[in-house]
Amino acid sequence: MTVDADWTIVVPVKQVPDADDVTIDPETGTLNRSDAPAVLNAPDYNAVEAALSLRERAGGEVVAVTMGPPFARAVLETAVALGADDAVLLTDRAFGGSDTWPTSLALARAADELDADVVVCGEESTDSSTGQVPPGIAAHNGWAQLTYAEELEPRPDDDELVAVRDVEGGHERVAAETPVVVAFEYGENEPRAAGLHRKIYAETEFEPEEWSAEDLGISEQVGLVNSPTKVGGMDTADPVEREQAVVDDVDALSDRITEVTADD
Amino acid sequence: METPDYDNEFDAIVVGAGLAGSAAALAMANQDLDVLVLERGQSPGTKNVFGGVLYTPTVRELVDIDDAPLERYVAEKRYGVLTETDETAVTMRPGEWLEEPHNDSYTVLRGSFDEWFAEQAVDAGATLLTETTVTGLVREPGGGAAEGRVVGVETDRPDGTIRAPVVVVAEGANSLVSEGAGLRDHHDREDVAVAAKEVLKFDRETIEQRFRLNGDQGVAYNYFGEGAVGDAVGGGFIYTNKRTVSVGVAYSIEDAVASDQNPEETLNDFKQHPAVAPLVRGGRTVEYSAHAIPEGGIDAVPDLVSDGALLAGDAAGLVLNNGVHLEGTNMAVESGYQAGRAVAAAVDGDDGSVDDRALATYPEELADSFVVQNLQHYDFFQELAVEDREFLFSELPRALADAETEYFAVDRDPKEAHAEAAKDRLLDAAGGYVGAAKRAWKYRKLLS
Amino acid sequence: MTDDDTVHEDVWVFVEEHGGDVAGVSWELLAKGRELADETGEDLVALVVGEGVDDVGAEAVERGADRALVADDPVFEPYRAGPYGDQFRALVEERRPSIVLIGGTTTGRDFAGRVAVPADAGLTADCTELDVDDEGLLLARRPTFGGDAMATIKCPDHRPQMATVRAGVFDAAERDPDRDGDVEAVDVVVEADDALSRVLEREVGDVADITDADVVVAGGGGTEGDFAPVEALADALDGEVAASRKAVDEGWVEPARQVGQTGKTVRPDLYVAAGISGAVQHVEGMNDAETVVAVNTDPNAPIFEHADYGIVGDLHEVLPELTDRLGGRSPPEPTA
Ligand SMILES: Cc1cc2nc3c(=O)[nH]c(=O)nc-3n(C[C@H](O)[C@H](O)[C@H](O)COP(=O)(O)OP(=O)(O)OC[C@H]3O[C@@H](n4cnc5c(N)ncnc54)[C@H](O)[C@@H]3O)c2cc1C
Ligand SMILES: Cc1cc2nc3c(=O)[nH]c(=O)nc-3n(C[C@H](O)[C@H](O)[C@H](O)COP(=O)(O)OP(=O)(O)OC[C@H]3O[C@@H](n4cnc5c(N)ncnc54)[C@H](O)[C@@H]3O)c2cc1C
Ligand SMILES: Nc1ncnc2c1ncn2[C@@H]1O[C@H](COP(=O)(O)O)[C@@H](O)[C@H]1O
Repeated sequence: MTVDADWTIVVPVKQVPDADDVTIDPETGTLNRSDAPAVLNAPDYNAVEAALSLRERAGGEVVAVTMGPPFARAVLETAVALGADDAVLLTDRAFGGSDTWPTSLALARAADELDADVVVCGEESTDSSTGQVPPGIAAHNGWAQLTYAEELEPRPDDDELVAVRDVEGGHERVAAETPVVVAFEYGENEPRAAGLHRKIYAETEFEPEEWSAEDLGISEQVGLVNSPTKVGGMDTADPVEREQAVVDDVDALSDRITEVTADD
Repeated sequence: METPDYDNEFDAIVVGAGLAGSAAALAMANQDLDVLVLERGQSPGTKNVFGGVLYTPTVRELVDIDDAPLERYVAEKRYGVLTETDETAVTMRPGEWLEEPHNDSYTVLRGSFDEWFAEQAVDAGATLLTETTVTGLVREPGGGAAEGRVVGVETDRPDGTIRAPVVVVAEGANSLVSEGAGLRDHHDREDVAVAAKEVLKFDRETIEQRFRLNGDQGVAYNYFGEGAVGDAVGGGFIYTNKRTVSVGVAYSIEDAVASDQNPEETLNDFKQHPAVAPLVRGGRTVEYSAHAIPEGGIDAVPDLVSDGALLAGDAAGLVLNNGVHLEGTNMAVESGYQAGRAVAAAVDGDDGSVDDRALATYPEELADSFVVQNLQHYDFFQELAVEDREFLFSELPRALADAETEYFAVDRDPKEAHAEAAKDRLLDAAGGYVGAAKRAWKYRKLLS
Repeated sequence: MTDDDTVHEDVWVFVEEHGGDVAGVSWELLAKGRELADETGEDLVALVVGEGVDDVGAEAVERGADRALVADDPVFEPYRAGPYGDQFRALVEERRPSIVLIGGTTTGRDFAGRVAVPADAGLTADCTELDVDDEGLLLARRPTFGGDAMATIKCPDHRPQMATVRAGVFDAAERDPDRDGDVEAVDVVVEADDALSRVLEREVGDVADITDADVVVAGGGGTEGDFAPVEALADALDGEVAASRKAVDEGWVEPARQVGQTGKTVRPDLYVAAGISGAVQHVEGMNDAETVVAVNTDPNAPIFEHADYGIVGDLHEVLPELTDRLGGRSPPEPTA
């Protein structure tokens, strides 16, 4: 395998509220995201790991990108601590309220700007969980895509990336032309821990680059007004009522089960 | 990818961003030292189990306490003695506690307080690294020490060793680092208490009604006797926060090993005591945890400075836990603060050299402070409590309950007869007048 | 942008076919699409893409479609996002549907964005409820934040209104051989050379369907890979074996049996969760079960809050005993 292809591997990472700490205001029914600490989207750890491991095999550099408010730079620090070479923060008031269409546009433009050969996304974000940003990036740029990827095999000599993909009922191996957008499956690799000195560097000295919507030439195409989908309302899901009875022994449990299954 | 090397880029490393660690970091950062604080939790305080009262005299010296995330100030204290079925209690609500500075006693949730306190150190210039566990100290031959001098720490991260001229170990009661590095002996069993604690959620009104509280007032209740933790040396506690109540038990590990009750069961029994149950009824458990508290007193405190490393807070065994007082927070902050000041005086920020004589001022300063003074003053109690365990935790509570039942009995006998019987019951338990006088003498220092 | 006066009408349902099998969710969407079309007074159109799929178009008509559009060409086999997306997009731009529904399978979720992005369409992912308002606006409801809240999402100014829909949330449309409607072969716009990727190998087995089962016995991380007790209980109760994502990721169980946000939604009378912690993403997929039974060693496991009956214990002991009581055979003792 060639090392030194000098691939530019871009990893879009997202800051999300820590899922364990999101609460719902019982009166207004809105989500109390502000209480929850902001963390790196769990599946993006797998994306960063996949990108670092590609870099080890193909050569080149890994650049993390996030679109979000200024404090979202924290997830870039996390990515740099894990081993990303550099990072770019896409931040601009104009981005506010963007749904997947403009979000993937901004990331697509940034990837293009960075001359990406490979873009490695996470499977989905734990807060909006659409999984639509990676195909969106590919569609905006007219690039190939490899979603539900479990393994990656670089073939820089052929300008190709091969992936083992999860498909309904099995697996397939697909070769895609670069530039290509990957959505790496959550949990399919073992994300490494950040090195001590690298972590100190990321949190003290490292500064990400900042790009605005104008820098990307898309001020008129992003934000709430340019988002096709509108959230019409948010309500607490009625929790499903359950008995929550704890039985002491298997006999009692089997009686319950017999009752339930005998009903029909 | 090139990673800079931070060996000896920091003047000092602090192990643990608890009260002692952050106080030390703050003291050093205030003197323009570059400090690196390493904390194993996701954020400071997430791993903390304390459920109680933060004593703030030293905190007040270091930071603007008005911004701190405090829950309630302690407006009422209660000491209750429990048998299986009875309670005898003293309650106090001095008017002075209602006024600022509220006797420097506040309930806090350590998850928020420790995070805030560490943030003050960061604002002052310290560097905080979380999710990083220190696994050992790095030693190097030289410096006159037989085992070599402490020149840095090892962590659980890749590329995880980092050097600095001085290390302040403020890792709390578990003391794995300090023990592993030979800075202290393994805690003897009799020197450690186990604690189990639950945080129960209520709405504000319920707490305020149940405990008779206005606004930010809160209570600290302590319980002793066999109704609290069975026949173990220790007690139970209830503290009110804004929207939660902490309820827990703490008792000697030795007893915990001897009895087949685990801390969780002991806590459950305590919560079901007839005098306790109505106070905690209906709360939703939002947190359960168990933890150790040092209680060896002054004799169990190791050398506070050795070979370029300093110990502070629980890691140094600096907790006053004698039954009447459970004070570790003020000692942790004070000792961290003193340790930090000593390091600031000892380390030359330019060449990284360390003046060991300046470091040695730390134990001296501490010896003159309330920390060591209090530990010495109450040292006698720990031993006595073990010696008199049967009397203190079982006979006395029972005698009290019987005596009060007698004394206040309402029936067709004359009161005098009941009063006489009550007195006899107490004397009987204490071992007659002579026994009572001896005991009073033995325990006099508790109240002085 | 499509906020001009061009009329967009009809409800489209993508009928997903692989190697002759149609994904169950497609027939579920046809039933739901029928309801929506009846409400708006529009036609229900089935869209089929693949090779040799005429009969799938005919079956779609029997299951409720007014018409079927069939794009039949070898370029669509095996599936790739590029050709599917390009073909689909061309049809959408030419025929202008108002609503487009796609099953939330790996395939549907893979190419939906390649249609929505260039068509400037709004796309709501992973819906679990669908409705239309008085103006014919699609109200797509989906859980957010791991199921703690439901969001209603609309696309007031963009057409078509696209949604991917979770498998298992609607009943499948029944087949009625007497129904008729057109099956129209459409022009194929994709050239083989346009494809940006090629499939090197593909290995697919039977796709289990757990969404219809009356009894589902699911195992998780707590099985530590030993699914024998889970299988035996499922056998005794005449039910299907399912799993948490953890068990699927570990390779103990095939992905088609995964329950949850990124798996299937099941609606059995009885759901047994054994050695499953009860993460929100899992619970989302089992919330429609009539009765939930949990077996877990940890009394504080969140699954007990989502169960009707729970027992604190080791599944390796509890399940075999249960199987015994319920008249099944215990699995053979595992050989060490
Ligand atoms: C149940 C209970 C109730 C109590 N009630 C009271 C009370 O009412 N009033 C009172 O004054 N005191 C009370 N105490 C005592 C008080 O909590 C302690 O004395 C005080 O917290 C000690 O502070 P510290 O900074 O020394 O240690 P800690 O607060 O324990 O902080 C140690 C920090 O170091 C971190 N750490 C540990 N090991 C490592 C490592 N290897 N690497 C990196 N980081 C590490 C920990 O995560 C933690 O953040 C109570 C204690 C308990 C357990
Ligand atoms: C984007 C995203 C999407 C996801 N989608 C899904 C999804 O669709 N479906 C899904 O399931 N998860 C999903 N997850 C993962 C989910 O968050 C959890 O990680 C997963 O459900 C955990 O599986 P588990 O409970 O089986 O395993 P674990 O978390 O490992 O829990 C094992 C449980 O078994 C118990 N146990 C251990 N030993 C025994 C024993 N001998 N007997 C009985 N009990 C025992 C333990 O107490 C524990 O509660 C998703 C996560 C993300 C981030
Ligand atoms: N705002 C964002 N900034 C950077 N990357 C993002 C952002 N939103 C989504 N992504 C990427 O897209 C993936 C899928 O997210 P989603 O489509 O929101 O479920 C994530 O795992 C990220 O890799």
